[in-house]
Amino acid sequence: MKSQTINPSEMTGTVLNIQRYCSHDGPGIRTTVFLKGCSLRCKWCGNPESIRAKPELSYDASKCTGKKACGLCLKAPFPEGAFYVVEGDDDKVKVNWHLAMDCDDSHASLCPTGALEMFGKRMTVSEVLDEVEKDSSFYRNTGGGITLSGGECMLQPDFSAALLAGAHERGINTAIETACNVPWSYVEKVLPHVDTMLHDHKLTIPERHKKWTGASNERILENFKRAYETYPNIDFIARTPLIPGVNSDEEHIRAVLAFIRPYKNVIDYELLPYHRFGLGKYELLGEVYELDDYKTPSNELVQRLQAIIDEAFGRSAQPA
Amino acid sequence: MSTNKRRIAINVGAGYVPGINAVVTGAAIAASKLGWEMVGIRDGFDGLLHPDRYSDGGLVSLSPLLIENLDPSAGGVLGQAARIDPFHVRQVNEDNMVEEVDMSDALIERLKAENIDALISVVGGQGLSILYKLQRKGLNTVCIPRSVDNDIASTMVSFGFNTALSFTIDMLDRARQGARSARKIAVVEVQGAHTGWLALQAGIAACADAVLIPEIPCDLKLLAGKLAETLSPTRTFGLVVVAEGTNFITKTQSQTPVSALKASLSPLATGEASDYVIHRSGQAAETVARELQLLIAEETYPMVIGPWVRGGTPTAVDRQLGMAYGAGAVQALNAGKEGVMVAFVPPDIRFVPLAEAINKVRTVPADSEFLKIAQSLGIFVGNKEAAL
Repeated sequence: MKSQTINPSEMTGTVLNIQRYCSHDGPGIRTTVFLKGCSLRCKWCGNPESIRAKPELSYDASKCTGKKACGLCLKAPFPEGAFYVVEGDDDKVKVNWHLAMDCDDSHASLCPTGALEMFGKRMTVSEVLDEVEKDSSFYRNTGGGITLSGGECMLQPDFSAALLAGAHERGINTAIETACNVPWSYVEKVLPHVDTMLHDHKLTIPERHKKWTGASNERILENFKRAYETYPNIDFIARTPLIPGVNSDEEHIRAVLAFIRPYKNVIDYELLPYHRFGLGKYELLGEVYELDDYKTPSNELVQRLQAIIDEAFGRSAQPA
Repeated sequence: MSTNKRRIAINVGAGYVPGINAVVTGAAIAASKLGWEMVGIRDGFDGLLHPDRYSDGGLVSLSPLLIENLDPSAGGVLGQAARIDPFHVRQVNEDNMVEEVDMSDALIERLKAENIDALISVVGGQGLSILYKLQRKGLNTVCIPRSVDNDIASTMVSFGFNTALSFTIDMLDRARQGARSARKIAVVEVQGAHTGWLALQAGIAACADAVLIPEIPCDLKLLAGKLAETLSPTRTFGLVVVAEGTNFITKTQSQTPVSALKASLSPLATGEASDYVIHRSGQAAETVARELQLLIAEETYPMVIGPWVRGGTPTAVDRQLGMAYGAGAVQALNAGKEGVMVAFVPPDIRFVPLAEAINKVRTVPADSEFLKIAQSLGIFVGNKEAAL
């Protein structure tokens, strides 16, 4: 049988979103490409629409004009029972998410008001890079470039590698945001094309990591170590999404520092204070946000922990 | 009556409801009378999907001997899973990656491999949709509704409701006694995210001064006025019953902007400005107690019964209902019905197609006899119109 060679620029992946002018996803001004699919289920996740690997339906009730004005989703080709209206004054459509899960773009595209939309679409490498390249002048002036994020960008290792290699070919700096909970075979496909790797140290203790993210962290830490040692030219930046009461203790911060400080190519450790910006996205997917009662960490807490990091990196404490 | 020997299974959806053992007992006895073999699936579908986790292979033979020794007054012999959705089973794969896997085909195959030709599922509103989806994939199923809120449409009474009602009345009696001795107003939150059956019926029985339910948006100023009328030097206490899904006509100080997430989770939600939005346990009582405190001189304090109603020994009514629902499900299978929910519409047991049972909530209608009874007893039910 004749083998087929796929042109890397024509390779396709599932892209959630391309966000321009990002300033916190690596050096300089960057364009962040969010890929769909994640191998963890962090309870504080701010991008729930990125978790599932396939494109998925979302429903924005505020855009629905109701049964009398529209009602298209109440009949074929929409799945029977997936959408319904409760008798009463209000005739806005409700979603039975168990039955609506199977809807795809062919259904969402029929909604005239945009209340039904798909999160995620298939794109080729060249389509993504053409979009990213529009801001090349910003990258040149600021040291920025492309950042692959997610979800977990390394869950699409071939697509990610092709994107990053293609970016390099176009003279664009590359970075990825990853939790690294993937087989090493995925990691070694992607990292040769990476300039900066932002990586999460979410929790130190394996059992607690499993409780809050769904999987233990042994393999993740093994991948980190191997990556630090195998790719000395990559700038590694460790990160911790700081969730009060979950991982906001000094012990965790000090344990991460003890893990990363022996490696000179881990150039920084950043705290990402918990925020609730993703809350609204859960509603569009009909899902429950389990950390509803959690609050953002206080400035005092963040400053105290940041001072520990600064000390470890030999920096003077940042002004309050 | 069928003379063919059949092997059928029964399982229970997420969450305990008093009377589950009575359902299992009723179904198993009725099946044995037909000469059928009945097996129970442990922990929802887990016993079928993950038999390796169980020393007995995940299936319990509900033999006449076991059933004879099963206590219908306590516990749930089969257990429940946290989720009962075989279309999205969360697992950690061999690469340590978390994923949701569709195991619905595997489930149906496992049933076939076990020579189980029909499944009786004891489920709530969400479970009905999942079983409907499985039925459309070829699963021969009969559902039994269970709800402590009594919010499942098509059936007059779900099993579990009566036990919850009895317990709630008992708690309200205690709250009333406490309020009387403290000379304060107790604001007690009870279960009822979408419907006010529990609050209304318990409130009537406990002689509450006011009952607030999701179906009737509450005017807190009118409620304060009603309490001011009731209170006197010889009547120095009050009892306000609040269903957890209660909403308010006027914006309260503590109300945060309505989240469309919660709106989408609530079958009666109306979008961004939804009146049918559940916040979290205790919030309704806290809101009413705090807002009332701004309007009246007497001290108010919130109490929450909440999920306490989900445990305990079933009442006589729920034991009877449980047995009837269990036996009714077997009757349905024997009559060749499938894809139906057993419904109790006094005096009949009926079989309602699942397609008709889903996407509906049994709410308190505006012309409910219970509302009329409350009105005749002078109980305030949320707004002036309803209280007249």
